[in-house]
Amino acid sequence: MTSPFPDAAEPTPGADWHADADLLASYAVGTADPVVVWSVEAHLTGCAQCRLALAAHADAERLARNRSVLLVRVAMPGEGRMRRLLCRCGVPDHLLRLLAATPSLRTSWLLSVIGVVAVVAGEAAAVRYGWIRAGEPGRLARYPDSEVLAPFLLVAPLLVLAGVAAAFLPSFDPAFRLAAAAPFSGFTLLLVRAVSALAGALIPVVGAAFVLPGPGWLPAALLLPSLALCVFALAAATVLEPRAAAVTAGALWTLPVLLLAAAHVPLAIVQPNAQFACAAVLCAAVVVLLARHDRFEWGWKS
Amino acid sequence: MRPGAEERDDAALLRSVARGDEEALAALYDRHAAWLTVRMTRRYAMPDVVDHAVQDTFLALWREAHTYRGGGDVAAFIWGIGVRRLIDAIRRENRGRHRLPWRAAEPDVVVSAEDQVLVGIEHGRLGQALAGLSPELRGAIEATVLDGLTCAEAAVLLGVAEGTVKSRCHRARVALRAALAEQQAGPETPAHRREAWGTS
Amino acid sequence: MEELTLNVSTAAVGVGGLSRRYGATRALDRVDLTLERGITGLLGPNGAGKTTLLSILATVNEPDAGRLSVFGLDPRQAAERVEIRRRLGYLPQELGYHRHFTVAGFLDYVAILKEITDRRHRAEEVARVLAVIGLEGRARTRVRALSGGMRQRLGIAQALLGEPELLILDEPTAGLDPEQRLRFRELLSGLPGDPVIVLSTHQADDIAAVCPQVVVLLQGQVRFTGTPAELAATAAGRVWAADERDGRAHLSWRGGDNRWRHIGDHPPGGAELVAPTVEDGYLLLSQAAGAR
Repeated sequence: MTSPFPDAAEPTPGADWHADADLLASYAVGTADPVVVWSVEAHLTGCAQCRLALAAHADAERLARNRSVLLVRVAMPGEGRMRRLLCRCGVPDHLLRLLAATPSLRTSWLLSVIGVVAVVAGEAAAVRYGWIRAGEPGRLARYPDSEVLAPFLLVAPLLVLAGVAAAFLPSFDPAFRLAAAAPFSGFTLLLVRAVSALAGALIPVVGAAFVLPGPGWLPAALLLPSLALCVFALAAATVLEPRAAAVTAGALWTLPVLLLAAAHVPLAIVQPNAQFACAAVLCAAVVVLLARHDRFEWGWKS
Repeated sequence: MRPGAEERDDAALLRSVARGDEEALAALYDRHAAWLTVRMTRRYAMPDVVDHAVQDTFLALWREAHTYRGGGDVAAFIWGIGVRRLIDAIRRENRGRHRLPWRAAEPDVVVSAEDQVLVGIEHGRLGQALAGLSPELRGAIEATVLDGLTCAEAAVLLGVAEGTVKSRCHRARVALRAALAEQQAGPETPAHRREAWGTS
Repeated sequence: MEELTLNVSTAAVGVGGLSRRYGATRALDRVDLTLERGITGLLGPNGAGKTTLLSILATVNEPDAGRLSVFGLDPRQAAERVEIRRRLGYLPQELGYHRHFTVAGFLDYVAILKEITDRRHRAEEVARVLAVIGLEGRARTRVRALSGGMRQRLGIAQALLGEPELLILDEPTAGLDPEQRLRFRELLSGLPGDPVIVLSTHQADDIAAVCPQVVVLLQGQVRFTGTPAELAATAAGRVWAADERDGRAHLSWRGGDNRWRHIGDHPPGGAELVAPTVEDGYLLLSQAAGAR
């Protein structure tokens, strides 16, 4: 006798029994007796022949539809750990999918890492080969390593800027025409990309700052200038052409750094006065950006 | 038809799925989706929820195929995954809308005594006692014993509170014990009763 | 869907006096056009302004002058522009793909751009369009591994996401072989919901086969609007077949049957009048436009 409970340890001597067509039909529709159904379900668990017979009574169209949706979902790119973490924090799934199409998340990471590593290596070499001697009494008071740091100070925020620029320059998005013709807010798309590019670029930059010789507050001091630069570029992009905006922002950082380096005080760019200036630029840029965010439609000036 | 050969085939397909073979997943779908859909529909009648649960089951199979240890029917393995995906789908549904009360499957056709013997139910013992239960009590037993759900999961499936599930299970056991004691159709060993009720 | 537009006409899509220039070149010159439900073909050589016109219809570019009305909405208003985009499907001439995308991933991305935020709904839509264009088995293939014809079909698929009421296809048959073009025509005729479809091409036989309405665009101006039969009829009485070439004809070429086909006013001796095709009408128009 077949037990209605599949977990029962007793053997099933009635294994030769198969459900007949009527029983399967009534089971498929839901009109079979509940207790009989338990027996049928237990039997189906072990009998492929009856499973196949049951399939004949099923809704073929519904099964086919679910099958194609299943295969599409299987084909979707997998979820990385980072994405699942962000999902739990409440970031909507569709925004995370958009990140998959962000070129700067891949390129800028690579760019920053390579650039920063190159700079660090260059500086380390400079110190080792004695081009710049550390510890000399005359220079101690003025941060002996300051001139070593000048290239890094120049390049680091520019790397972050480059990553964010890749988020809003149309040339970095091969499918930009599709985005332009689609209802999804261009500004939201831009923000998603810019924020992720910013995070992606800041991490290696700040990390390298910890490694470099120099004052201990250097890593933290890089944050405001990088942020200000990127938001300035975004705000400028509402007024100028995207490429012009990126170049202007880059120039606005490069000139002061070079001037200060020529005056042998490159670290002044990250000292408190300069930090306040960066904060002011950041606030102004945020205001402009929020006021003019609808200008980010590609192809439309009005 | 030898059940052994079929089982090996399913297990082999599952091993292929674990290696990332999409066609093997499609083949498993073609074999198992029909009964899975019907069995789920019996538990929860909303077709959209069942569709989502079926998709989620095979998606979970795609990711968890490697957890199949090879002992037991692949179909039982699939049901184990499936019933939990159904619970998840119902939970999501409940978050969105009103809770749907569990709909008792009222049979239109009364199965004759001969048919019951033919399908192998011990007509004189458990089967008749079970048939004598009310739908709510039967549903509670089905969820906890047959499907192996916890009381919390059964509560989601049946659309009632967890305490209600526990009390229904208790009442069902009491009723069944009483019904079985009445029948005295043969020696009823404690071991048999343990087997019948599973581990809880 | 009946809607009154800003223009007097009750067309689904209406264009009046549209102009657009790029630097010194006038890409579009006072174009007037109406589009109804069904398929309209835009015929013209490269550089005629077809891509510009279609990109303006797709709200990707802004016209310099003129009125535009899509389902009663004015794209110059930002809110209405977004609403138009919700009902739009666009296949640009140069469709770019992110290099690493799979077919399913690319369609998923476009579906998000079309504001389908629910993951399940997206999967259902992607499955639906994949079935329509016949690429179901390729969901996991990388886009860069697809052949040219499949990539084109993928481009059409992304335009179909969200069941748009206005479908704008820029050179959808470019790079397709004749068999694929045939399947494409079948696909277009079988779309549910009767959307407004406008497609551009420089091949007259595509037009003849599938478009009940033809617009010929030459040098930024509309030179003809009507049915393919009417376009063919414009060359009536001026198409001849002969065994020799004729120097005085406007156009002259040797056909597959080894006879010369001439389009011109003065038939050479021994030539016989033949029924004009859509292509003949189009060639005659281009000739006239070129001569100006």
